Amino acid sequence: MPTPSITLHNHKPGAPPGDLVIWLFIFAELLAFGIFFGAYAFSRSHHVELYNQSQLLLNRESGAINALVLITSSYFVVRAVAAIKQGFSRECANWIAGAIGLGGVFIVIKLLEFNAKFSAGISLSTNTFYMFYLSLTVFHFMHVILGMVILTAVMLKARRGGYTPEDHTGVETGASYWHMVDLVWIILFPLVYVIR
Amino acid sequence: MNHPPQPHFVRPCTRIWLVLVVLTAVTYSIGEAGLGGKNVMLFVLAITLIKSQMIASYFMGLRKTSPMWRIIMGSWLVIVGGMIASAYLMGLQ
Repeated sequence: MPTPSITLHNHKPGAPPGDLVIWLFIFAELLAFGIFFGAYAFSRSHHVELYNQSQLLLNRESGAINALVLITSSYFVVRAVAAIKQGFSRECANWIAGAIGLGGVFIVIKLLEFNAKFSAGISLSTNTFYMFYLSLTVFHFMHVILGMVILTAVMLKARRGGYTPEDHTGVETGASYWHMVDLVWIILFPLVYVIR
Repeated sequence: MNHPPQPHFVRPCTRIWLVLVVLTAVTYSIGEAGLGGKNVMLFVLAITLIKSQMIASYFMGLRKTSPMWRIIMGSWLVIVGGMIASAYLMGLQ
């Protein structure tokens, strides 16, 4: 006979981790980014030289370091979910704190990159490449901030012992969103900084 | 003689993280080398789609979900990858 804790824990067999609503949100976000990526790629096909020249001025190190930062923060979030499944609230909160910290590193690196571009007189109106580069990365940047806000709420609740091995949907919900933020950068980095 | 089961010193998710780091380094190195062209683009795109699939399957946990969820994510990756590749090839003409 199933215990009440089991019915609480896993909503529907075969459903993804976390709240179903966050998955609708995730796929809506992925759709928006997908359209953005397609628009960038097809715009590039009309201005190949301009895109290749402009891309040379990007800071590829920043893009790559930020890719590693987000991949590692995603890994931390995986460890947080694993910890709460074993009932380790404090450990779960610590892993999430680490992920938030790395989100902060991403923000700082990105701000330095934006500052360098703006100082060089580059703006949305410089050319089509920079219009896409700035709008795509700023759009993603805002998702990083939202992800950090969600993870902070999850971390605070985890610190209070608000999740259990049987009921930790909130942790999985925040984790799923954060992985989406990582996934988008995994595609954005090679598309904008590498492919030429 | 029976040996007790060995503990897993490296968790599966740690292995996935390591592969993602290595593949990111490969992508970065290609950029640093200034490589371009159709084959390089296809190689970089293939690495990107493999990384994306790993994140979706192992980090987001979609490998344990019903086929519908995997099909939605897989379709998104194929469409985005297809758009990037076909737009690149258009630019070569």
